[in-house]
Amino acid sequence: MADNDFPEGTPKGWSRRDVIKGVIAAGAVSSAGYLFRSSVVRADVSAPGSVERLITLNVNGQQRRVDVMKQETLATTLRYKLGLTGTKLGCDRSECGACTVLIDDVPHYSCSMLTHTARGKKIVTIEGLASAEGKLHPVQQGVVEEQGFQCAFCMSGFIMATVGFLKVNPNPTRTELAHGISGNLCRCQDYDKILTAMMRGAELSRRA
Amino acid sequence: MAAKIDNQLPKHPPYKLIGKNYTTPDLIAKVTGRAKYAEDYRADGMLFAKLLLSPVPHGHVRNIDASEALKMPGVKAILTVDDMPKPADAMTDLGQRIPANPLGERGLTNDPVYQGEPILAVCAVDELTAVEAIEKIKLDIERLPHAVDPLVSLRPGGPNARVEGNVWMRPTAAPGQPAPPPKVAEVKWTDADFAEYKDGKLPMGKATDPEWSYGDVEAGLKNAALVLDETFVTPNTSHQTLETRTAMAYWQNGKVYVHCSTQSTAQTAPAIARWLGLVDDKGQPDISKVVVISEYTGGGFGSKITSSIAAIIPCILSKKVGAPVMMRISREEEHFIGRARPSLHGRLKVGFTKEGRITAVDMFVVMDNGPYDPQGDANQSGRMLSLMYQPPAMRWRGITVLTNTPPRLSQSQPGGFQGIALMEPILAKASRKLGVDQVAIHRVNAPVGKAPIGPPGPNGKRLYVTSAYVQEALDRGIEQFQWEKRKAMPKKSGSKARGIGVATSCFVGGSIGFDGLCVIKPDGKVYIQSGIGNLGTASVSDCHRVTAEMLGVPWEKCEITWGSTAKNLPWSCPSGGSQTTHAHTRAAYAVALDAKDKLTQIAAKDLGGKPEDYEVANERVFHKGGGRGMTLAQAAKRAVELGGIYDGHELPKGINKMTVASAQALAGQGLVAVARDTMPRDGQTHSYVAGFAEVEVDLETGKYRILDFLAVADVGTIIHPRALGGQVLGRSMLGIGHAIGQKWVYDQHYGLPLAKRFHHNKPPTILDAPEKMEWAALDIPDPETPIGARGIGEPPVGAGCMAIVNALSDALGDEIFRRAPVTADVILASLEAGKPATEGLTAHI
Amino acid sequence: MAIVRDIMPAFELFQPATTDDAVGLLAKYGRDAWVMGGGLDTFDWLKDRIKRPSVVVDLSQVNDLTGIRPMGGGLEIGALTTLTEIVRNPVVKEKFGLLHQAAELVASPQIRNQGTIGGNVSQDARCWYYRGGWKCYRAGGNICFADTPSAINREHAILDADRCVAVNPSDTAPALIALEAQMVIRNRKGERVVEAEDYFIGPATDITRMTILKPGDLLTAIRIPDKWAGATFYFEKVRDRQVWDFPLVNVASAAVYSGGNIERIRIAVNGVAAHPVRLKAVEDAVRGKPRNAATADMAGQLAIQGAEPLRYNGYKVPLLRNLVKRSIRGVEEATWAS
Repeated sequence: MADNDFPEGTPKGWSRRDVIKGVIAAGAVSSAGYLFRSSVVRADVSAPGSVERLITLNVNGQQRRVDVMKQETLATTLRYKLGLTGTKLGCDRSECGACTVLIDDVPHYSCSMLTHTARGKKIVTIEGLASAEGKLHPVQQGVVEEQGFQCAFCMSGFIMATVGFLKVNPNPTRTELAHGISGNLCRCQDYDKILTAMMRGAELSRRA
Repeated sequence: MAAKIDNQLPKHPPYKLIGKNYTTPDLIAKVTGRAKYAEDYRADGMLFAKLLLSPVPHGHVRNIDASEALKMPGVKAILTVDDMPKPADAMTDLGQRIPANPLGERGLTNDPVYQGEPILAVCAVDELTAVEAIEKIKLDIERLPHAVDPLVSLRPGGPNARVEGNVWMRPTAAPGQPAPPPKVAEVKWTDADFAEYKDGKLPMGKATDPEWSYGDVEAGLKNAALVLDETFVTPNTSHQTLETRTAMAYWQNGKVYVHCSTQSTAQTAPAIARWLGLVDDKGQPDISKVVVISEYTGGGFGSKITSSIAAIIPCILSKKVGAPVMMRISREEEHFIGRARPSLHGRLKVGFTKEGRITAVDMFVVMDNGPYDPQGDANQSGRMLSLMYQPPAMRWRGITVLTNTPPRLSQSQPGGFQGIALMEPILAKASRKLGVDQVAIHRVNAPVGKAPIGPPGPNGKRLYVTSAYVQEALDRGIEQFQWEKRKAMPKKSGSKARGIGVATSCFVGGSIGFDGLCVIKPDGKVYIQSGIGNLGTASVSDCHRVTAEMLGVPWEKCEITWGSTAKNLPWSCPSGGSQTTHAHTRAAYAVALDAKDKLTQIAAKDLGGKPEDYEVANERVFHKGGGRGMTLAQAAKRAVELGGIYDGHELPKGINKMTVASAQALAGQGLVAVARDTMPRDGQTHSYVAGFAEVEVDLETGKYRILDFLAVADVGTIIHPRALGGQVLGRSMLGIGHAIGQKWVYDQHYGLPLAKRFHHNKPPTILDAPEKMEWAALDIPDPETPIGARGIGEPPVGAGCMAIVNALSDALGDEIFRRAPVTADVILASLEAGKPATEGLTAHI
Repeated sequence: MAIVRDIMPAFELFQPATTDDAVGLLAKYGRDAWVMGGGLDTFDWLKDRIKRPSVVVDLSQVNDLTGIRPMGGGLEIGALTTLTEIVRNPVVKEKFGLLHQAAELVASPQIRNQGTIGGNVSQDARCWYYRGGWKCYRAGGNICFADTPSAINREHAILDADRCVAVNPSDTAPALIALEAQMVIRNRKGERVVEAEDYFIGPATDITRMTILKPGDLLTAIRIPDKWAGATFYFEKVRDRQVWDFPLVNVASAAVYSGGNIERIRIAVNGVAAHPVRLKAVEDAVRGKPRNAATADMAGQLAIQGAEPLRYNGYKVPLLRNLVKRSIRGVEEATWAS
């Protein structure tokens, strides 16, 4: 059946054929699959702004060397190359917030940022909040005290968004905090209890 | 007044653990990011699978040319339906065979019946390779006629969603026999049937589902002071769990290990075995060949009761390639295979006395069933309506229409929600027509005590519920919501209109017959095994607090084991359907009684006297007169020495074979308590919620704000207040999503979905939630279950949705909407037109 | 070819550090190059595997494209300035509150933390047929799927449709038009400055583009003159959900009133056509008139002249009328609100 029979399809005209040829030539190189797939090198890599494959990331206070594809998102790198699976993928499209991490203290959707863009920046994930001795961050403690969340798939994103918001507004009203963490979706729809837990976390943060 | 009533209501004894908040055993792992969901596991040499989805809504794959794909380096295998086992028949606990539906899903197909249905899976070293391989596959698909709108399919000459026809026929069972399997047939209505369609009234052609009725409906309508004949349409809504149904699987020593997302750890093992065709010599699913690992599940809402048939794809691929296989499911794929609530088009004729009491209900529903197994929502909508509003006479008719849209499955309050949604606008309209207060009209029609439900059974008698305190819930709501004060406020000011609404809602509140299993070990701790899925409702641990309470053991000395069928779990109820709290507080009660029996027997053996001379409390078993006794640690040690029934080497009859295997594995470790809940119950267990809402509508934009919301729950004894509150408000919000925006959108000509992601399907955000939300629970124990606790997940949905919808019609009148969701465009267009301006009956707009 | 989504195709990535390098790369790779700002529009296209550029030029490292600087009595805002930076900027808030309000209502906090003003005004149409990969006019085909008898077009255009009925989804665009902003565009040949109003194009001009930018062009900055500093502003966005969603319709107005009369005013709306629409006829009609309900009503009626609703978007006509009305006389709040 020809592509044209379907209203949906990939429009032609872009130079994707070249890209695919490049991919085939490069092949799939590694038995470790996802982890070490090399990127396609086609363009002039000596041009200004060209990027390396091996890069260093500052994650949770540590410098981590990592081999990344050009099109790789930060969420993928964190989850599949650095073992930081606390960052969740709920939609992969900036529509749910489960993948929220802090980049230089600012909440970002890690599904929608290239890993290369995070070079030289301070990345903090849910795993980086508690102290080395295991003392919970005040926002985590707030969740524990209020039994915030249900399935908790959205939880790390909500916590990171809250921690980021509190850095700018440490003493929010309930309404302000709701706006601050409104870029996070909870499908258990436990918003009321989440807000209560996060307000508790804000209070504990101020005391800390 | 309310206080007086409270004094007359049944109360439960004071408890130490039950009714108290506590930190659930899974919480620290969750807040630190250590909690592992299915996609968080890694295995050595793990490969990845990607799905090729059907581009057409209905078709037949004539040929698959995968030669180019298979030549690609890194491509390991391609799986098609030819590799998929035929699903085995299901067997009930009683050994009754339920034949597998020959038109059921097999995970992959050559005969896709909705766009997005998986046709094949490619396994490769990484996802990029798998995806590029899929793009090289040439599919030769024959397009077949499609239907995405059930009414279009019922038109004369309308298209059929399946080659076999467009309607599920459900033959009724002969007395004492299991029902024969359903069959697909072609049913078309006449042009005359469709005469009222253009007026937005649901056509009522031939109804094919088994009709039921009780009382004299005709007389009821004839003698009514007011008869309303109303059409309302509920939305199709995807479950949209935040965690998609990703699964990872590998084989070891002939067993398949499946990391998946499920609402039931215990019951997923036989489901996977059945889907994989792994049956023992008796035809029962061979659970010894399946290990299910699911410590954390990111939401289910009914869509993952026993995980998902898609989970067998990585299982089979893994066997084929001899390596672990991860199949990540994307959000768009989840739209296709992630299940959804079937919409109901409903038309109800309802008679009322001038006081607002319902005299009769004549109900007709068309269910948009999707392409696969016939769903129970249509019939359940009638049953729940019959309980919630207690019509003295009622007739229910329905038809189950197949469409080329994603498969449906139970979603929070399945069918019950739709029944409530179809009826509530009529109750609100009657309240205005008759000048009877909204709460009063709900109160006069509310079930009381052991109220009847549903159609008469074969013996001619109707079933009844265990208890109902809906009037008390409404009374509490009137007071807490300050109903009368709000009612006295003006309805319009400036460009805004205000309205208040109330809705009542109900659902099955618990099942019976599950097993409990725990071990009191010589360290004095109680090790409790839980086969309930962990999706955050906290039932996985909450229910077992009953065991600790009864044994007088502090919670800190209880350890819960859950999340893997390799960890010796008992046969358990899924976490779903509002069944678990009831089912497993009972099982926990039963297992505590068994532990007490064994403890007092051991004490009597060692210390003299009869077992009944002893009691168990404060981590001891001791003589009732005081003095003689031993600690639980000592008793556990003695149990091991005594062996036999005491340490699990001899097991009682009647427990499930999964429980038997688990208890056998734990035998000898301490005092093994194991029991099945065989306690009596008089009536069907149901739970209830009354919802109250206030809205402010902007008459110039159609947008509205939900200013306030209160849900009052009648769910029996409160087990864990914070978890209960989360459920009451969380499930209310799920209902509110149905009121304010969640829906599907399909282009009917192409039969293709336009809304496939959060951004399009509109699950509510935190800023769409009511500005103020409160909950309350009556805490009146159910008389028919030991602790008095019932489930809560379902009934808030209808109460949440319809309190909002009724508040909107209170603000705007009856001529604005005839379907949910009620969005700004609907309100504004209707205000402008002075009549309902949105197409009433077109599906998926 | 079978359709599969959710894995980005491979591309070569450049992250230039200066505007000059960025412009150089765009010139070098021409049509093969994809310009990425915050990436929020980009990633959808790439993850759906619908657009497959061989080269992506990520501007995130170009520091000279960011920041808010005084210019004349107004401001120059680097195109890569995030929406959050704009929302938090005290001068924007104090003098050009219209832009502050518009930016604050975009999408979600995380998207505003990463999404840029340049990206917000240059984003592609959100029509679900077009975005779904259907080969429509805008995608180089010869049909508009959103304008067939079965099409679901609740979110589509009521004005200026020409074959394509998609709308421009930007919230900041009408605010910038109302503020008489100017767009600074660079390519290898040099720099040019165009009025915000002229930055956006409709299908009649080029059905495949939303702005005048052509391959090689880079939007580097947006200049806001002091003409409307401190004026009376009105911004309203009506959307389905209060987070993430694009406007069904939005309105932005800047007005100077004197003695109860409208001395001067600019009004722009979005979500009603393939480009943000400046309501010049309305501005002309109300200038010099008293600021009252009658003038507002007249403005609303005038705004919907020529509106042609489709099957499912008829509500946009009264919505546009009412929002324009409100942009002059404000919202009549309920007394219970106080």
